[in-house]
Amino acid sequence: MSDQPGQTTPLQLRDRDDIVLRIEHLSVNFRVGKQTVQAVSDLSLDVARGETLGLVGESGCGKSTVGRAIMQLPPPTAGKVLFKGQDLCLLSGEALRQTRTALQMIFQDPISSLNPRRKVRDIVAEGLQIWGRPSQQSRVREVMEAVGLDPDAVADRRPHQFSGGQCQRICIARSLALDPEVLICDEPVSALDVSVQAQILNLLEDMKQRYQLTMVFVAHNLAVVRNVSDRVAVMYLGKLCEIGGTGSVYARPAHPYTRALLASIPDMNPLSRHQQDGLPLLHGDLPSPANPPSGCRFRTRCPNAQALCAEKEPLMQAVRQTEQNEPQSKTTGVVSDHFVACHFPL
Amino acid sequence: MPVNKHPTIESRAQNFARALQQVFGRGFGPGFWLAVFWLVIVAFCAMFADWLPLRDPLDPVIANRLDGPLSGSLLGADGLGRDILSRLVHGARVSVVIGLTAVSIGMIVGGALGIIAGYFRGHFERALMAVLDVILAFPWLVLLLALVAFIGQSLFAISTAIGFLWIPAYARVARANTLSVVQREYVLAARAMGATTTRILVREVLPNVILPLLAYGLVAMGLVIIVESALAFLGLSVEAPQPTWGGMISEGKRHLATAVHVALIPSITIFLTVLSLNFVGDRLRSRFDVKESNL
Amino acid sequence: MTPREFKEQPLLLDVRNLTIRLNSAAGLVHAVEDVSFVLREGQTLGIVGESGSGKSVMARSLMNLLSRRSVAQRQGSVVLSGREISALSEREMQKLRGAQVAMIFQDPMTALNPVLTICVQVSEPLQQHLGLSKQAARQRTIELLDAVGIPDAANRVDQYPHQLSGGMRQRVVIAIALACDPALLIADEPTTALDVTVQKQILDLLSRQQTQRRMGMLLITHDLGVVASRADIIAVMYAGRLVELAPATTLFGAMRHPYTEALFNSIPRISDPGHTRLQAIPGRPPQLHHPSPGCAFAPRCQYAQQRCHRETPPVVMAESSIVSAKPTEHLHACFFPVAKSASGGVN
Ligand SMILES: Nc1ncnc2c1ncn2[C@@H]1O[C@H](COP(=O)(O)OP(=O)(O)OP(=O)(O)O)[C@@H](O)[C@H]1O
Ligand SMILES: Nc1ncnc2c1ncn2[C@@H]1O[C@H](COP(=O)(O)OP(=O)(O)OP(=O)(O)O)[C@@H](O)[C@H]1O
Ligand code: SF4
Ligand code: SF4
Ligand SMILES: [Mg+2]
Ligand SMILES: [Mg+2]
Repeated sequence: MSDQPGQTTPLQLRDRDDIVLRIEHLSVNFRVGKQTVQAVSDLSLDVARGETLGLVGESGCGKSTVGRAIMQLPPPTAGKVLFKGQDLCLLSGEALRQTRTALQMIFQDPISSLNPRRKVRDIVAEGLQIWGRPSQQSRVREVMEAVGLDPDAVADRRPHQFSGGQCQRICIARSLALDPEVLICDEPVSALDVSVQAQILNLLEDMKQRYQLTMVFVAHNLAVVRNVSDRVAVMYLGKLCEIGGTGSVYARPAHPYTRALLASIPDMNPLSRHQQDGLPLLHGDLPSPANPPSGCRFRTRCPNAQALCAEKEPLMQAVRQTEQNEPQSKTTGVVSDHFVACHFPL
Repeated sequence: MPVNKHPTIESRAQNFARALQQVFGRGFGPGFWLAVFWLVIVAFCAMFADWLPLRDPLDPVIANRLDGPLSGSLLGADGLGRDILSRLVHGARVSVVIGLTAVSIGMIVGGALGIIAGYFRGHFERALMAVLDVILAFPWLVLLLALVAFIGQSLFAISTAIGFLWIPAYARVARANTLSVVQREYVLAARAMGATTTRILVREVLPNVILPLLAYGLVAMGLVIIVESALAFLGLSVEAPQPTWGGMISEGKRHLATAVHVALIPSITIFLTVLSLNFVGDRLRSRFDVKESNL
Repeated sequence: MTPREFKEQPLLLDVRNLTIRLNSAAGLVHAVEDVSFVLREGQTLGIVGESGSGKSVMARSLMNLLSRRSVAQRQGSVVLSGREISALSEREMQKLRGAQVAMIFQDPMTALNPVLTICVQVSEPLQQHLGLSKQAARQRTIELLDAVGIPDAANRVDQYPHQLSGGMRQRVVIAIALACDPALLIADEPTTALDVTVQKQILDLLSRQQTQRRMGMLLITHDLGVVASRADIIAVMYAGRLVELAPATTLFGAMRHPYTEALFNSIPRISDPGHTRLQAIPGRPPQLHHPSPGCAFAPRCQYAQQRCHRETPPVVMAESSIVSAKPTEHLHACFFPVAKSASGGVN
C-alpha cells in the first residue's frame, strides 16, 4: 500500500515533553462485502497538552474513524495510539477499560447518543457508577451546572424532552463527569441550529479552560475549526494531506486540496460575487476508498497533478516559511510547524 | 446546597402521570380501550375463576344438556350438561397460563439469544441464524406433535412445547432491534466510559429491546392461544376433564347441527381475545416505533 | 459594482400576506405567518432561516405541494406570472409545475427514483410538457446533463441514481428542474447535504444557469454565507415570519433586525483569529405550536422591551438612513431596530 517504511518517525510528529496523544502510522480497514475499504491509511499526528487539534476533510475521508480508532472503538488495523506514552492498542480487557476513561467522546447527533430510556441524572452519573466513584451526587450536579443545565429541573427528565442543543449539553456533561484529559469531539455542532452552534462552541471552549482538556475536534466546517483549533490536520481519502498551526495553514495552505477547501467556503461578503469563477480548484468526484488512486490520492482531482504524482506517493515535508526567513530556518534548523504531503506544494 | 434526594409525592405523581402519558399517550381511540377492557376481563376470570359464583365446570347436569343461552344459565350448557359460562371462565385459566408461559419461554430464551447474537455478531450469530432457519423451515404442527408426544400432555409440557416454537421469532425480533441499538452512539459512549459488556447489555441494550419484544409478545400470545386450540382440537392439549377453549370447540363440533352455540361461544371468545391481543400489541408497537423514529 | 437594477423587470412572483397553518399531532403549527414579498424576472431571492422556521412549508405552498389534509388554514395570495395559483385545480397546477416553476429539494439521495435510469427521469418532463419524441427527449437530456456539468453525459444517462455520487445526483436533480426552462426555480437547501467543495460547484452552477436563462430563483438556506454573494435580495425568516428583507448589499451593510444581527454575529469567521469568543444567541428557536403574543424573538432579543412581549411588530419600511441616490427597499419587523452600525461590516 504505502512505500513509506513503517519504522521511521514521521516528520510531523513533534519531539516535545507535553505530547498527550500521539498517533503513529494509524491504519483502519473495513471489510465491506468482498472489498477492503482503507478508511484511514498510515496517518500520524500528535496533540500536545491543552491543545485543540482540528481534523477536517470531506465526508467519508475517515475523520470519525480516526476519532474512534483513538478510543479503540474499534481498535485500528495497524499503528500505534500512544496516550501519555502508553500504547492503547497493546492494552486489552481491564487495563484498556481503565485507561480509556481518560479519553472521552462527543458525537455529532446529540439525540441518538443519549439512551432514550434513561433519565438525564443516570446518563450523566453512568461513568461514576461504573467506577464506583465517591460523591457522585455532587459531581453530577457540578458538571451539569458547568454545562449550563439546572440539575433540579432536568435531572429527572428523559432525553427526548430536550432540544438538540440541550442534548449536546447533556452529552458534554456526561463526558466530563469522569474528569477526562482528552475530549474527542466528532462534529459536535453539525446537527444543531445555527443560532445554537455558537453556544455549544463557547461552552466547549469554557470547559476546555475549566477542566484543562486536550481536544481533538472533528468537523467539516472550516470556519468552526478555525475558531476552536490551535493546530489543524487536513485529511483526504484516509490520508493526511497537511498539518500545521491553524493560522499558518489557513493563511498559506500548501496542499492544493486545502486551498480548494478554503476557497469553497461561502463568502460573507455580498460584493465578492464578481470575483468567482477563476481556475477550477477541484474537479471530478471523490474516488472510492475501496480503490484509491495510485501515488497521491488527490491526483484525480488536483489541478497541479503531474506524472510523478501517479507514480510516487508524496511524503510529508516541512512547508517553507515565508521568503525572508527561509534561509534563516535552513541554516539554524528552526523547525517549521507546518507540513504537507505533496510533490509540488503551493 | 440542599440536595433534593427524595422527590415529593406530588412530583412523583407528576412523573408517573408523565410516564403513563408517554406510554399510553393521547389518541389511542376507543377501540384500543375496548380491547384492553376485554383482556382485563379475561385475565380477571383466569385469576379468580375458583372464587367466582359459578357452577362447577365439571359437574354434568343431564337435565340441562344442550340448553341454549339464557335458558336457565347465561350461556347454556354443553353436550354433557356442563355450564358453558363456568367452563369458559375456567378455560380462560388454561389459555392465559399457556399463553403467558409459552410467551415467557420464547421471550426469555429467544430474546437472550437474539440480543447476544446481535451484540457479538460473528460465528455465534451465523450459527444461531442457521439453526433458527432450520426450525422455522420445519412444519410447526409436526414439530409440536413430536414435542408433545415426547414430553407429555401436562399444562407445563404443552406450554414449554409451544414456547419452544416461538424462540426463533423472538430471537429474530431481538436481534434486529439489538443491531439497530448497537449502532447508536450511546453504546459507544458507554464503552468509552468503561462499562463492561454485561452492563451495556443490561442498561443500554435491554431497555431498548424489551419494549418491542413485549409488544410483540401480545401479538404472539394471540397466536399461542390459537395454537393451543388447534392442539385441543386434535385432542392433544391438556387432559380431558380440564376445560380449555379449544377443547370446548372440539367437543361442540359433534352438536353443530343441533346446538351451534356449544362450539360458537368458545369460538367467539377465542376470536375476541386474539383480536384484542393483536390490536393492543399492534398499537403499542406502532407507538414505540413512532417514538424511535422521532428520536 | 452597483447591485443589478431590477426595478424595470416585470413581476414574476408576488406573494401577499401568505399564512399557512398545518395540522400536527401536537396541535396547529403556525408554519408561515403573514409573509409578503415580490420577485422579478432574473432575480435571486435568498431566504435564510433556521431549521423549523417555515422555509420549506412556504416553498412547497408556492407550488401547491402541501397535502390538502395537512393544511388547516391558508390565507393570502400567490401570483405567479400574473396567475393566482392558490385557486388553481390540481390539473392546472400540474401543467405549471416543471414548465413554469420547478423545485430542487434538499436531499439528492431521496429526490430521485432509485429504480429508473437518469434518462427516464430527466426526459419525462420533456415529453410531458414540451411534447418531445422519445429520441428528441433523449438527445435533449444529454445536452442538459452536459450543461449541468456531468462528464461523459452520453454514457451516464443510462445509469441509475445509486451509481452517482451525491454531487452528481444533485446535478441530475437540477437538470430535471431546468428541463422545461422554468421561469422560476425554487431551490430548497440545495447544498445542505453536500460537502463544501461540492456546495461551491453546485451554487456556481445554479447562478450560471440562472443568469443564462434569466430565471427567477428562490434560494433557501440556513447559511447566511451561501446567499451573501449569490442573492440579489435576502429575506430572513424567524418562527414563520419574515423579519427582514433587503438587497444583499444593503442588508450586510446595515442590518436592522436584531435577529439578523445576532445570527450574523454568532457565526464563526475564517478571518477572525482562533479562539475568538463567539457572540452566541441565548435560548433556542421557538416552537411553532403555541406562538406567544408579541415578537417571536423577544425571549432571546437583547433589545427587547415591554412592548415587544405584548404586540407583534408589523413589517415596516426602514427609514432610509442609508446615504444612497435611490431609495432601496429595506423592510424589517421590529419595534426597536438596530441602529445602522459597524456590526454589519462585511469581512
Ligand atoms: N463500520 C464501518 N464499516 C464499513 N465501512 C465503514 C465503517 N465506518 C466507516 N466506514 C467507511 O470508512 C470511510 C470513512 O468513514 P468516516 O465515517 O470515518 O468518514 P468521515 O470523514 O467521518 O465522514 P463524515 O463527515 O460523513 O462523518 C467511509 O468510506 C465509510 O464508508
Ligand atoms: N406536513 C407537515 N405537517 C405538520 N407540520 C409540519 C409539516 N411540515 C412541516 N411542519 C412543521 O412546520 C414547521 C416549519 O417546517 P419547515 O419544514 O418549513 O422548516 P424549515 O425552515 O424548512 O426547516 P429545515 O431547515 O429544517 O428544513 C416545523 O415546525 C415543522 O415541524
Ligand atoms: S502530489 Fe501531485 S496530485 Fe498530489 S496534491 Fe500534490 S500536486 Fe496534486
Ligand atoms: S420587536 Fe423587540 S423583541 Fe422583537 S426583535 Fe425588535 S427589539 Fe427585539
Ligand atoms: Mg463522521
Ligand atoms: Mg426545510
